[in-house]
Amino acid sequence: MNALVQIVVDALSLGGLYALTALGIGLIFSVMRLANFAHAELVTCAAYALFALSAHPLVMAVAGSVLVAVALAVVTERLAFRTLRSADPTTMMIASFTVSMLIQKILVFSIGSRPKSLDPVPVLSQAVWIGGAQVSLLKLVTIAVCAVLLLALTIFLRRTSFGLQMRAAAENFTMARLTGVRANAVIVAAFALSGVLAAVVALLFTAQSGFVQPRLGVPLMITAFVATVIGGMGSLTGAAIGGLLVGVVTTLLQAFLPPDLRPFREAFLFALVILALLVKPNGLFPARGLKERI
Amino acid sequence: MTALLQIDALSVSYGRISALRDVSLHVNTGEIVAIVGPNGAGKSTLLATIAGLVRPSTGTIQFRGQSVTGQPLERTVRRGIALVPEGRHVFGGLTVFENLKLGATIRRDRVAVAAEIAQYMALFPILSERRNEPAGQLSGGEQQMLVIARGMLSNPALLMLDEPSLGLAPRITDQVYDLIESVRQRGVTVLAVEQNADRALRSADRTYVLNSGSVRLSGPSADLRGKPEFEAAYFGLGQAGADK
Amino acid sequence: MTGTAWREIILRSAPLLALVVLIVAITLLAGLADAVTVRRVILSLVNVVAVVGLYIFMGNSGVLNFSSVGFMAIGAYVAALLTMPANAKGMFLPDLPGWLMVAELPALAGPFIGGAVSSILALVVGLPIMRLSGIAAAIATFSLMFICYIVLGNWTSLTGGQISLMGLKSYVGLWTACAFAVGAIGVAFAYQETRWALALRASREDAVAASACGLRVAALRLGAFVLSAFVCGVGGALYGHFQGTLRVESFYLDPTFLLVTMLVVGGMRSLTGAVIGCLSISLLTELLRLVEVGVPVPGTTFTVAAAAGFGDVVLAALMLLILIFRPNGITGGREVLGNLARTWGRK
Repeated sequence: MNALVQIVVDALSLGGLYALTALGIGLIFSVMRLANFAHAELVTCAAYALFALSAHPLVMAVAGSVLVAVALAVVTERLAFRTLRSADPTTMMIASFTVSMLIQKILVFSIGSRPKSLDPVPVLSQAVWIGGAQVSLLKLVTIAVCAVLLLALTIFLRRTSFGLQMRAAAENFTMARLTGVRANAVIVAAFALSGVLAAVVALLFTAQSGFVQPRLGVPLMITAFVATVIGGMGSLTGAAIGGLLVGVVTTLLQAFLPPDLRPFREAFLFALVILALLVKPNGLFPARGLKERI
Repeated sequence: MTALLQIDALSVSYGRISALRDVSLHVNTGEIVAIVGPNGAGKSTLLATIAGLVRPSTGTIQFRGQSVTGQPLERTVRRGIALVPEGRHVFGGLTVFENLKLGATIRRDRVAVAAEIAQYMALFPILSERRNEPAGQLSGGEQQMLVIARGMLSNPALLMLDEPSLGLAPRITDQVYDLIESVRQRGVTVLAVEQNADRALRSADRTYVLNSGSVRLSGPSADLRGKPEFEAAYFGLGQAGADK
Repeated sequence: MTGTAWREIILRSAPLLALVVLIVAITLLAGLADAVTVRRVILSLVNVVAVVGLYIFMGNSGVLNFSSVGFMAIGAYVAALLTMPANAKGMFLPDLPGWLMVAELPALAGPFIGGAVSSILALVVGLPIMRLSGIAAAIATFSLMFICYIVLGNWTSLTGGQISLMGLKSYVGLWTACAFAVGAIGVAFAYQETRWALALRASREDAVAASACGLRVAALRLGAFVLSAFVCGVGGALYGHFQGTLRVESFYLDPTFLLVTMLVVGGMRSLTGAVIGCLSISLLTELLRLVEVGVPVPGTTFTVAAAAGFGDVVLAALMLLILIFRPNGITGGREVLGNLARTWGRK
């Protein structure tokens, strides 16, 4: 019973982080068909901002890191991705690699590759008891924050007129423009939102890991990217559920694989990914209008 | 009197293939004008160029006396031009109501928009019945009505329709053209592209015949109906004489 | 054969001849340079083998492939295990099965057997995966690379796991690397002249239309994938024997991105693009390394040196700029000199 509670908490908190990251990637993909690998660096730079502002109150540090991630997201869009909007998806994807590399190298060059330790929210490192099971407060908060953000994003997309415009643009970009939806506004907003999500992920993730280094965001981004593909590229519901699913499967593999196979945990995960793609090449929730593009 | 839409010597090419050659036409305020022609005549290209989807290689397009060539796509509807593209592009994953709301993206007068949406729902009860269902689940005819209503919700001065009757049963086609007529009653000018020449000639005030990228014949629809020149122009027979 | 037929063949082979001349010229020039430069040139030539291997599949099929580094790793480890002296193996890998422990094949058999094992594995995994296209294919091949990395990195009895494997026979000199680079280019060129490659390129332009014409797209892709894995496996074996040591980390994210970027920067849809992309990025890397080491200003005693890590920043920035200003790569996806056959061949 105790073990079960722990596994559920682990799975949901990990899945929540993946879901938020996957949503950040999915938002951009849905409006401009860009698989943005540089999302990793939004998380990394937000984490460095937390580190730089660690002497200040938490609210200021979080505000600063959100600002950094949003600014970086918008700047990469303006300088790199806007000119490539009509290029083919392969070129855009490779360009996002190089953007990701460029930011990493700048971080290594200016700050150095050695990890810096930080503990943004020390209060959360205590444990709480749920029905006789000891679980980390941080993980519970992570689950709560992820749930709140998912809800907020859903309300934004479903209930506001700008959210409606974003969904229309995701489905048929050209037609949306013909109804008057401003392409640049929607795309910049998607990048800004992905920056906000990245900053939240950076806070929750560094609170767990306790350090930041120039490649902090890369493994998260890769797993989340896989999650968006499993969920269905371009579908936001798919991205969120794909993220949760990957988190749950990872936790289960960790818990139930025989010990001598545990080092191969991720190999099993990626083998499952390939299997999932073979069964459902367009993901669990295939997006509409994937083929239409200017 | 200046025309609402004035096109002069318009040429468009896709790479080496020329789609429109030296096309000139005009649409006056309050008219229904039809452009007819066979497959590949350049009809859709013409509308796409007016809407800003395609850039012309030469020629001018003036709307209300201002040039509209080479403008960003989202400005088209703000100038008062609404395009209903071929193939009924509803946002299939969004609800019927959301589709209608998107039509009014550029408007700020929420009360009037809500009233107009209610009008269209009263006109087409099926839209009201299915207001919270994905628009992709509507039938072809229902989608066409939805798309025209969506176009109208931007309060356009000119509504452009690309093949409004394509793939619809004759009875539904009649409904669509009734709707187009009622659009004109509201003071909106209509430019429609049709392959169904007969249908277009019955509804339009004036008709242009487009073939192989050039205007072959034009005039009041009543004059063209049943004329042998019309068929010759439509099917591209005796072209040398027809474009004079 | 008639004179015109020969003329046609020679003109069609112009891109191949140009590339071979380029590679041989670089090798000859490098022969005059200092030992450090020679090592960098050898590494570039080994990279040419790997990028050309990647091109064989990606260029002809238009499908993204991130697994090539995984096949390089397999080629490298197979070649190492089969050619290392038994006593070296005994030291690093005491748990090897007996037959593998005593196996000590001639060094040059390594790349070919390594390539063959890679291509057999590619055949097995490619059979299902080649049905995928677009992003699904990209992620599936990415997953393959990960699986290779994790399995090789944790299969301690066979690969040493996270520790480096040392004592590989070092036979990859300038002319060996040159010969393999020319060989890889020749294989890629010969392949792209076949009707299978032509059909595959047709499917690249329009997969649905190609299937409608009766082309079996998955089978065509599989063929290219297997050949590509072979060349990549050879490249991996050469890389290992050039370095003399093997680490799984050398076959992970960084080289994956670097090789794909080299191909895309050069122009993913042509063999000349693959080679030129690889060589120009290698050259840039080398120039930037020189800047970091320090360049003496002529006529003075000053040297201009950039801080460490600066070269990497500039390299990434340049690659991004090339992509922004030439989204189809330096060559624009056309074969350099590829027009010769069309313009002169008809006379």
